[in-house]
Amino acid sequence: MITEQPVTAVEDALHRRWRLLTPVYILLAIISLTGIVGAVLGAILLWQLVQNRTPYYADIVDEFKYGSIGAEPYSGIPYRIWRALPTLFPEHFGSLQDYSTFGFLYENDANGRQRDLPIGISRRTYRNVDVVWFNCATCHTGTVNATMTDAGGQQSTGRRIILGMPSNNLKLERFIRFLLDAGADERLSAEKLIPAINKTGPELGLIEEFIYRWYIIPTLRDGLLKRRTRLFPLLRQQPPWGPGRVDTFNPYKLIQADMPLASLQKDELIGIADFPPIFNQGPRENMHLHWDGNNTSLAERNLSAAIGAGVTPDSVDFDGINRVADWLKTLRAPPSPYHPDPRAVARGRDIFMSQCRACHGFQDSQGYTFTGEAIGQIEPNSKLGADPHRLGSYTEKFREYQLANFFVGTSHQFKYFVKTNGYANLPLDGLWLRAPYLHNGSVPTLADLLNPLEQRPVAFVRGSDTLDPDRGGFVAPPCVPPSAPADPFCYDTSKPGNGNGGHLYGVNLTAGQKSDLLAYLLTF
Amino acid sequence: MTEEIASAAAESVTPAAAKDVIFTPLKFNNLEVKNRIFRSSVSGRFDNEDGSLTQTRINWECKFAKGGIGAIISSYVPVLMEGRIIAGYATVHRDDFIPYWQKLGEAVHSFGCKFIMQLSHSGRQMDVPGVHNYARPTLSSTSKKESLHGFLCRAMTIAEIHYTIDAFAKGAWRAREAGLDGVELHAANGYLFTQFLSSGINDRTDDYGGSLTNRARFLLDVISAIRAEVGSKFHLQVKISAVDHNNVVPWEKKGNTLSESVQIAKWCEAAGADALHVSTGSLFPHPLNPPGGFSFETIAATYDAMISSGTSTLRNYFLFRYPILRPIFHWAWFRMKRGRPVEGVGEDDARAIKAAVKIPVISTGGWQTASKIRDAINSGACDGVSIARSLIANPNLPKFWAAGDDLPPSPCTYCNRCLLNAPKNPMGCYEPLRFANHAAMVEQLMTIYNTHPTLQVPTPQQVSP
Repeated sequence: MITEQPVTAVEDALHRRWRLLTPVYILLAIISLTGIVGAVLGAILLWQLVQNRTPYYADIVDEFKYGSIGAEPYSGIPYRIWRALPTLFPEHFGSLQDYSTFGFLYENDANGRQRDLPIGISRRTYRNVDVVWFNCATCHTGTVNATMTDAGGQQSTGRRIILGMPSNNLKLERFIRFLLDAGADERLSAEKLIPAINKTGPELGLIEEFIYRWYIIPTLRDGLLKRRTRLFPLLRQQPPWGPGRVDTFNPYKLIQADMPLASLQKDELIGIADFPPIFNQGPRENMHLHWDGNNTSLAERNLSAAIGAGVTPDSVDFDGINRVADWLKTLRAPPSPYHPDPRAVARGRDIFMSQCRACHGFQDSQGYTFTGEAIGQIEPNSKLGADPHRLGSYTEKFREYQLANFFVGTSHQFKYFVKTNGYANLPLDGLWLRAPYLHNGSVPTLADLLNPLEQRPVAFVRGSDTLDPDRGGFVAPPCVPPSAPADPFCYDTSKPGNGNGGHLYGVNLTAGQKSDLLAYLLTF
Repeated sequence: MTEEIASAAAESVTPAAAKDVIFTPLKFNNLEVKNRIFRSSVSGRFDNEDGSLTQTRINWECKFAKGGIGAIISSYVPVLMEGRIIAGYATVHRDDFIPYWQKLGEAVHSFGCKFIMQLSHSGRQMDVPGVHNYARPTLSSTSKKESLHGFLCRAMTIAEIHYTIDAFAKGAWRAREAGLDGVELHAANGYLFTQFLSSGINDRTDDYGGSLTNRARFLLDVISAIRAEVGSKFHLQVKISAVDHNNVVPWEKKGNTLSESVQIAKWCEAAGADALHVSTGSLFPHPLNPPGGFSFETIAATYDAMISSGTSTLRNYFLFRYPILRPIFHWAWFRMKRGRPVEGVGEDDARAIKAAVKIPVISTGGWQTASKIRDAINSGACDGVSIARSLIANPNLPKFWAAGDDLPPSPCTYCNRCLLNAPKNPMGCYEPLRFANHAAMVEQLMTIYNTHPTLQVPTPQQVSP
């Protein structure tokens, strides 16, 4: 290349200086370019890291079903992976190839198509990644299959979703086991998962794929493996949970409280109980809440339940929780579809008012009355005689841990938890939706509950949402545990924690009295 | 004839002025000047690229001569083309230029004014190199770049020093041949002599660097060479900087002190100088010379003419042009001025030098007020003053004084816009406050072109090739 000679001495000197300093300038250019690129990338990264948003549902019913309580960031699953899991593990997702196989309930959208996410799964954009996980509706939305008359007198038959009732379909243990096993499955790797993600939606961009490959998938896998290591030894010592049931406090101890399994006592390891209904929370303020009545503050109980669902003090969405909690204060159970003989009801009411009302309040045409000398109080289990495992699963040691560690120094710091010696006397509103009965769901129907222990079913099928109008509860045919298939679930009362004893009130009534009492109870 | 006009001019002086020390003749060894006012060295790019002077220069000088000053010190007149400061200024490097200078002298003398040629060499302080010089670094005492603009240079060899000494001697001889009244060696303000004299610039290790004696050797050799060339009867004065203040660019060394300059002045006297002209600063322009304002808007419009002259000029241009950067230069420039007056900024320095020598001392630096000049002379600070900017503003300034005014009605504001326009535009007053409008200012600038030279049709021999 022919270069023109510089004309002036100054230009010549500048050229020489430029040649001499070219490497320095190039280096400086590289450094500044790197700095600029780094700053831009840093800004983008920072922007992504501070992203934390979730859809706001104007309709409180949608908020309850799909709104976030803040469980996603630390406990959830990335949305794209949630969608890809059925593709990756088809053998776990049944014929519909969706999460209904675990008892999650799907609704249809306005166009009649099944919604993307089931009830009880909320979505949040956290650090610019969409993550999904549980909300209140996960455990507190069930179905009932009945012929019902609505307010206008119209009759309808079929399966209905009832918000606030126990999630009688949800097979939570099976879902958890599936997820934890998936964490240990070779298919949950970038090589298999990314194609599955791409198959179930828009293909990941280069940067997105990079983030999924090197951060999201390994992080998810690590988290699942860690939880698997924690939970599986516990689950091995427990009978199967079955649908509609959960061990509230033991996984909470192992995961949220980080307690080693070995530090737990043998008699606290099985805390499996039914999901409770959450109707009419307002009148329940100051009552002993939870099956064992270990808390008298609605707000604290709600927050504790949210932690159980995966919320952490860092991720908690108080706005979401408070909106739902306010709404639940006055949420009434749908009226009972039963129409028993009014004369029998009147007779049964008399029996109830004299023998049951003090502990449970009562139902009349105005609705439910939440008053009674012992309503919301603890009935010592020495007197009640119910299965003690759930009571034993909440310990003084865990109470101390909760009080010392959650929301310390804030107005939300736990202070109402107590260790009790029995189970709480609960109001019975929406009783027709609450089968099977007792805290552990060990007695399938109201009729069975009025029977002495030896006449109560030893093993029965759980998980049906078809009403049993004769006995008050869901249809629960007997089963023989050793030979019963896994599905439908055969509930075996002989397993630890599944005992169906206790609450022997009314068992000595005559058959006629029991029939009258049942007639009254069917109106609840 | 010249003397007749001079006496006629003297007669025009009012009786009150007759006793005024300003209008008392100043007698040097070889020269008598009718009063104490000297037009200090100033000019514009009026001349031809080959160094021959033009009618415009004659017009320029006559403007001051007519105004009543005692003597004109010419603008810097390079003794070699390689020592040009700004191209387009007349030089004295060729014998065949003698007639031009003779004509200029004649013109100035016609107004009863003396004319002293300022012999100069830029050294590294070459603002606009011109076609002769742009392809080579300038010669200096040092090879270090000039500090403010980054002008390139190369340390002179001993042979080059001797050659340059000889050029000064020849320049003086040409001035005498042209009938001029004397010469002044421009040994101030950062040009070649300063580059030898200043401890802040001269980094030589030979006989021309190191001790003050060695640093002064070049100047003293030139004085001796001139005396050898023109004898002792031709007026020779030396302009020196009393203090270098070389650290305008803050990391530069301070340079020569007043006591060193006093010593240099004594040596000059001993070597045969007839007078001393005291200025300040080891670069030009300098915050203290000429003292006054610094118009960023003006220099932003003119400094582009110098961008190609140095390696730091583009940096300076940005500092001048962008208001956000101006405070940097403003700080560096004005920090030296704090606490100093504009008018008579060099009075104390001149006084110190005058106290050490017997020859007359001329002071420069903002002089404009008759009473202050009178006081300076009467108090023994100097024997006369040299003025450039105030005479550009009012060429007939002496007439105001002679009429009893202390200041002219529209005095120089020391804005220095004349200085900052020098590299690019015609010399004259650029102070907008002194003119009704821009057109009036331009009209003033154009007055020096009014008397056009006689144009001629060249003979074939005059046209080359």
